[in-house]
Amino acid sequence: MSGQDRLFIVTNDRVSPGRARLGGGLIWGSFALLVGVAAWQILGQTGRVADWGNWRPTLYAYCLWATCLCAAEVVRHGEQGKRRLFVMPAALFVGSMVFFPLVFGLGIAFSDWNLASPDGRRFNGFGNVVRMWSDPFYWNALGNMVWYVLAIVVEYAIALGLALLLNSQIRARKFFRVAFLLPLMLSPVAVSWMIGKSMMEARFGPISRVARWLGWDNPSFFGDPWLAKAVIMIMDAWTFIPFMMIMLLAGLQAIPRDIQEAARVDGANPWQNFWGVTFPLMLPVSLTAIMIRIIFKLKIADIIINVTSGGPGGATDSVTSFIFREYRDRSNVGYGTMLAFVYLVLIVIGFTLFIKLVSRWMRPQY
Amino acid sequence: MKVDHYRRLMAMQMSRRRMMQGAASLGALAAAGGGLGAGPASAEAHGDVRAEILKIPGVGMGSPTDADWQRVGELCLGATRENVAEGEFAGVELTFMGLNNQNLHNFLFRGFLKPWEAYTGAKINWIDLAQADYNARLQQSIATGTVDFDILEMGAPFEGDTAGRGLLDEMPDWVADQIDSDDLVGYLQPPVGTWDGKTYRVNIDGDCHTFAYRKDYFGPGGIGGETVPSTWQEINAASKALVGQTDPLTGLAAHGYLDPLKGWGGFGFYFIANRATAYVKHPDSPAWLFEPDTMKPMVNNPGWVQAIQDVMDLVDTTGAYPSDQINADPGTTAFQQFLAGTGSMLMWWGDVGSSARTSDTSVVGDVVGFGINPASERRYNAMTGEWEQERNEAPQMAYIGWGIYVTARVQGDEKKRKAAWSAAAHLGGKDIALWMSAYPSGFQPYRNSQFQYEEWEAAGYDRDYIEDYLGSNLDSYNHPNAAIEPRIPGIFQYYSVAEDELAKGFAGQYGSAQETADAIAAAWEEITDQIGRESQIALYKASLGM
Repeated sequence: MSGQDRLFIVTNDRVSPGRARLGGGLIWGSFALLVGVAAWQILGQTGRVADWGNWRPTLYAYCLWATCLCAAEVVRHGEQGKRRLFVMPAALFVGSMVFFPLVFGLGIAFSDWNLASPDGRRFNGFGNVVRMWSDPFYWNALGNMVWYVLAIVVEYAIALGLALLLNSQIRARKFFRVAFLLPLMLSPVAVSWMIGKSMMEARFGPISRVARWLGWDNPSFFGDPWLAKAVIMIMDAWTFIPFMMIMLLAGLQAIPRDIQEAARVDGANPWQNFWGVTFPLMLPVSLTAIMIRIIFKLKIADIIINVTSGGPGGATDSVTSFIFREYRDRSNVGYGTMLAFVYLVLIVIGFTLFIKLVSRWMRPQY
Repeated sequence: MKVDHYRRLMAMQMSRRRMMQGAASLGALAAAGGGLGAGPASAEAHGDVRAEILKIPGVGMGSPTDADWQRVGELCLGATRENVAEGEFAGVELTFMGLNNQNLHNFLFRGFLKPWEAYTGAKINWIDLAQADYNARLQQSIATGTVDFDILEMGAPFEGDTAGRGLLDEMPDWVADQIDSDDLVGYLQPPVGTWDGKTYRVNIDGDCHTFAYRKDYFGPGGIGGETVPSTWQEINAASKALVGQTDPLTGLAAHGYLDPLKGWGGFGFYFIANRATAYVKHPDSPAWLFEPDTMKPMVNNPGWVQAIQDVMDLVDTTGAYPSDQINADPGTTAFQQFLAGTGSMLMWWGDVGSSARTSDTSVVGDVVGFGINPASERRYNAMTGEWEQERNEAPQMAYIGWGIYVTARVQGDEKKRKAAWSAAAHLGGKDIALWMSAYPSGFQPYRNSQFQYEEWEAAGYDRDYIEDYLGSNLDSYNHPNAAIEPRIPGIFQYYSVAEDELAKGFAGQYGSAQETADAIAAAWEEITDQIGRESQIALYKASLGM
């Protein structure tokens, strides 16, 4: 047992040099096989050697290598290796699920690959980035995303108000908690059809009828660019405000009562109690809710695709709905993948900055 | 085709079913044997079969079931029996890829082919796809070299992606005889249905856009004018003149022509093309979207620009369109507007004709009339670069129609190949075609023998209405200047990107119709370069039969 190892280890491993070599041989031997099979497959694709038809041999070689790697840990390190064996399969699986798609995704992103092209996939370096740079549809969609994300401020205010309401002693509180949660249980696709396509239908939709009754002669909820954008935001907000609300409600319920009671004893009125005590204490939960909501918002597509197809004139287009069109309608796999990667990078940078900026308020205050 | 959109399908299924309900008994049809016998020679030979299958399930007996489809398939096996011995395909397994739209398409094919399987001994495995998944599945199979189907239900526009890459098997002569190819309507005759001079397609559907109008708007004392507009110039004039008037049927605001201003997954482009073909489809040339020698887009030539300008003129005329028209796709214009009593003129596929009198949501059944795609008072000659003061008609065969194809996978196994073609021929048979046009199927008529109005009349339809509605289809199909789209790879990519640019143009984001058209042309050039200009030129010429 190692003197520095504070864990109790049952066996005192004495790994012989031969055993260590065997472990190393297992790892490097299986790895060499994996490289060899993969190389054969790549050559097969180019027609230099017999093509196996699919990538299963490489997958099997990878699985063999992963198994050998796990086994070799025990062979080489004994008890310590067994400890690693507990996490190694999971780590390998997660790594595989991230690493391979990323590598293949990058390969596609740097390719000119239109599925209709008889030439298939062709490496084109930064060609897709150059194209993106001058693509007004992508920048328009990115610009729209800024507005969509900014709308979260309003959503947060509403969600916090509802959470405060549900946290107070009101009648039928349990009923309202369930009722306010209902929109979250609806699929955005259902919302887009039921509300956007039916209730807001310009001629017969009940909301349009109400609008006419209120004096709007020809109600058109998606005809004007800004109105269309706003209505899309409202439908999306209606679906997801309950999500923020429930998170904030949980945060409110976690605030110790004695802090607020102490403030009241000190003479704070309800507004001072909220602004000076509750709101600061809720900041960590609030920022977490906002961050998760931003992630949801950045993926907005279904409502837009169903209701406006990005129109009028691209006013409601989101990055995801634009990428969807590039992929589905135009089979432009290479360019679409690059757009998605750039979007991912922008999101990662944006989130890193955001977290850095708000980190001082993210720590629990009580 | 026709069944590419969920709501359109919904409407279609409903209409066809309702069409059957409440109509006269098909017993009367059987009794009126003379009517059936008045068909062409082949129909006469199969007169008993045709009369028999029209009784399945019979008028007012609800929607056909799988048992009905099997019964129809059994009765229509005669042609197969002439070419295939019983049990000849024992041991053969085929894979059939098609759609499952609205429980039609593959569902019908399964029933029709069940007796064929029992007779021939072959077994069919099925790949059912939703419409939205179809293009992606097909393109991915082609791009990744994983074509795993022997028989394929496919729209003609995809022939460039398949036939153009040698993925299809050429139709044997005996199949052409079995399906009686000569019975096909005019536009489905070569070069359509062929690729590079070879035939790959067993037709099961026809497609065209026809003009639907409200009779109560037009005629003596009509608010839209004394006569029905027959040119796009008249249509625009009528649409502007109707501003501020009241719809005689609904009492709401009257409107003229219903342009869909929102995209529809590429399919919306057909609707601006309806206007454009009248301007740019010259009788002396089959090309109207690209110049065949260069693939240079014609979409920004003066004819196309005029078509876009016509729409912009109406966009700029307050009240010409219903409110929210900028957000109306073709499904909206047909089913939520025209059939519901909004607007007075529309271009669409055959569904509108079949739905007008039968759909619960239609209020225009008694006041709807039909015609071919309106003409233009002048046309643009792209070959000379000059406008010609000639009236020009050019009905558009939008989507060309569904067909059954056999893939090259069967090559090398003659038994399997014959089995695949026999199955395709069974589905494309003349008698089955009659049944499919009379019952819910998702397919439009595509044979001359399907236009025997006596059969429809005996089945309980109003003769005048059917002649008007089906006649507009027939006149379009057989029009000498029919506009047929290029069957080149990625054709819907061109349409899709054009929709995006048009949406910007209609929303006022471009300075003019010309700018809008130039933006489309630039985007099309990019697609052509990306797919490969030389190969596109070669395939375009092949599809035009040049």
